[in-house]
Amino acid sequence: MAEAQAGPPPLNLDAPHKTPYVSIWMRIRPVYPFLLVIFIWQITAWFLHDLMGDLFPYFGSILFRGWELITGPLVKAMGVDVDTGFLTQLYAIIFKNPLGFIDQLKYLSDSPLLWHTLSTAWRLPFSFMIASVIGVTVGIMMGRFAFWEGFFVPLLSVLLPIPALAWTPIAVIWFGNGDQTVILVTAFASFLPIAMAVWTGVKTINPVWIRAAQSMNADKMTIFRTVVLPGSLPMILSGMRIGLARAWRAGVGAEAFAGIRWGLSAGIFDAQEYLDTAFMMVAIAVLGIFGYLLEKVLFQPIETRTIIKWGMMEEMGGQDKKV
Amino acid sequence: MPTKIQIQNLRKVYDTPERKVHALENVNIDIQDGEFICLVGLSGCGKTTLLNILAGFVEITHGDVYMDGKPITEDYDKGVVFQEYALFPWLTAVQNVEYGMKIRNVPPDERKRIAMEFLRLVRLEEFADLFPHSLSGGMRQRVAVARALAFDPQVLLMDEPFGALDAQTREELQDLTVDVWQKTKKTVIYVTHNLAEAVFLGNRVVVFIPNPGRIREILTIDFPRPRDALAPEFIKTQRRINELIRDWK
Ligand SMILES: Nc1ncnc2c1ncn2[C@@H]1O[C@H](COP(=O)(O)OP(=O)(O)OP(=O)(O)O)[C@@H](O)[C@H]1O
Ligand SMILES: [Mg+2]
Repeated sequence: MAEAQAGPPPLNLDAPHKTPYVSIWMRIRPVYPFLLVIFIWQITAWFLHDLMGDLFPYFGSILFRGWELITGPLVKAMGVDVDTGFLTQLYAIIFKNPLGFIDQLKYLSDSPLLWHTLSTAWRLPFSFMIASVIGVTVGIMMGRFAFWEGFFVPLLSVLLPIPALAWTPIAVIWFGNGDQTVILVTAFASFLPIAMAVWTGVKTINPVWIRAAQSMNADKMTIFRTVVLPGSLPMILSGMRIGLARAWRAGVGAEAFAGIRWGLSAGIFDAQEYLDTAFMMVAIAVLGIFGYLLEKVLFQPIETRTIIKWGMMEEMGGQDKKV
Repeated sequence: MPTKIQIQNLRKVYDTPERKVHALENVNIDIQDGEFICLVGLSGCGKTTLLNILAGFVEITHGDVYMDGKPITEDYDKGVVFQEYALFPWLTAVQNVEYGMKIRNVPPDERKRIAMEFLRLVRLEEFADLFPHSLSGGMRQRVAVARALAFDPQVLLMDEPFGALDAQTREELQDLTVDVWQKTKKTVIYVTHNLAEAVFLGNRVVVFIPNPGRIREILTIDFPRPRDALAPEFIKTQRRINELIRDWK
């Protein structure tokens, strides 16, 4: 006969939080779909190699192109043949480098990929920020004042379904080629869903919260600040999420057509002329990683600190929330 | 005791696009200062409507409501406990309780201290820093009670505050409500459709009948407290109210 249990061990509720154990499999899990896709990619590339050659590059070629796009100017400046392999170049850079640190940085900063990325990287968040400020303001005006609701709702409802790309040619004619056109189109495309979502959020806020605040004699402005704003935060954030997604799509389109030199998608469309598929793949990958990081850096911290902590939104299942 | 609230010839008709709803007709009640008054009646007989009128959420169609002899204004001091969970999810328990005092510009230290006092009153001081979503249903309503009391309102309006809770929790909160009421001597207007609850809590029970909502009778309950819900007179009173509610035609 087993001894009767003496009860559970003593409980210390003040003990520090344990970080949950994450197995190796859990860590690898988000990566394996990529590995699988890469594997299938390789097989396809192998089958198509005779037919298409570099137009359907091996995964390795794409990686090498990425490397070359970053270190190309540096390798050239060192006098190493750019057609040598990755390991040779890496070895040369680390061990046989005739250049000083500053010079190295200088040549690294000549990397075309860096410039493409940087120019997308400021233009896009910048446009998105403009869109957020205007979108949240207009959305709140629509939610609070019947006049602005009556004014904006019909307009925005008609504008919302129009793909931003359709505006780009007109915008180019009106505002010329250049950053300003890309920013305008991107911001406009992203502003629309933000305004609509904020409006919905403000309108659909739980009325009992408003009454509770009213019953404690809060004035209108206080109710707005302390109840309407936090209460509609879930909708505001989800609107901004959609806005960011639209900004990406619009930005990619506008970059390509607004005749600008730098920008990831401008680069992609340029590369089309040289049939440089490897470059296109690299740029696409950077777009993906960049969007993913923007989401991680921007939304996740805000959400975990606010609406998830308040129980107003469940934590999303799975690994990541995609834009 | 002086009269706190006077309701005279009150009528309420909701004017909806579809049709007019006659919610209250000729309601007259004098509510004494410090009284605990319960409103009972079938669903749809206008209990919430009356409470919302007293809270200033709903306009009067006809008649008068006086507060301390003066026509009622929207911004007199009242604490409201709603039937639904009405805590602000973005504030912790103690911040929720502080809200009304913040509106009244009570300095932060002071209002924190008072809020903790009221949380202690509802036996939740240990949960002060939790957000409402991590509290149980009964705990949330206790915080709501504390929030409605903390800024020291003259009148407490409660609309089936414990209706959604299980029987045990409800009984516990009823005891707590009586306890708080005896300590603070507030005027309480309490809506319920649970007759035992009405007889257990009220100094008087106002029985409403529907279509249109009007008062059938006002009963005075003068059993000594603490009350025994199983005493024969208690059950007899409950049965009488039940009859009043049901056979009125
Ligand atoms: N905002 C409103 N607009 C139109 N009619 C309403 C409104 N609120 C309540 N009514 C109507 O007024 C009548 C009384 O409603 P009320 O909510 O006061 O009843 P109640 O006694 O609280 O019922 P319950 O016990 O179900 O909560 C009902 O017929 C209802 O349909
Ligand atoms: Mg009701």
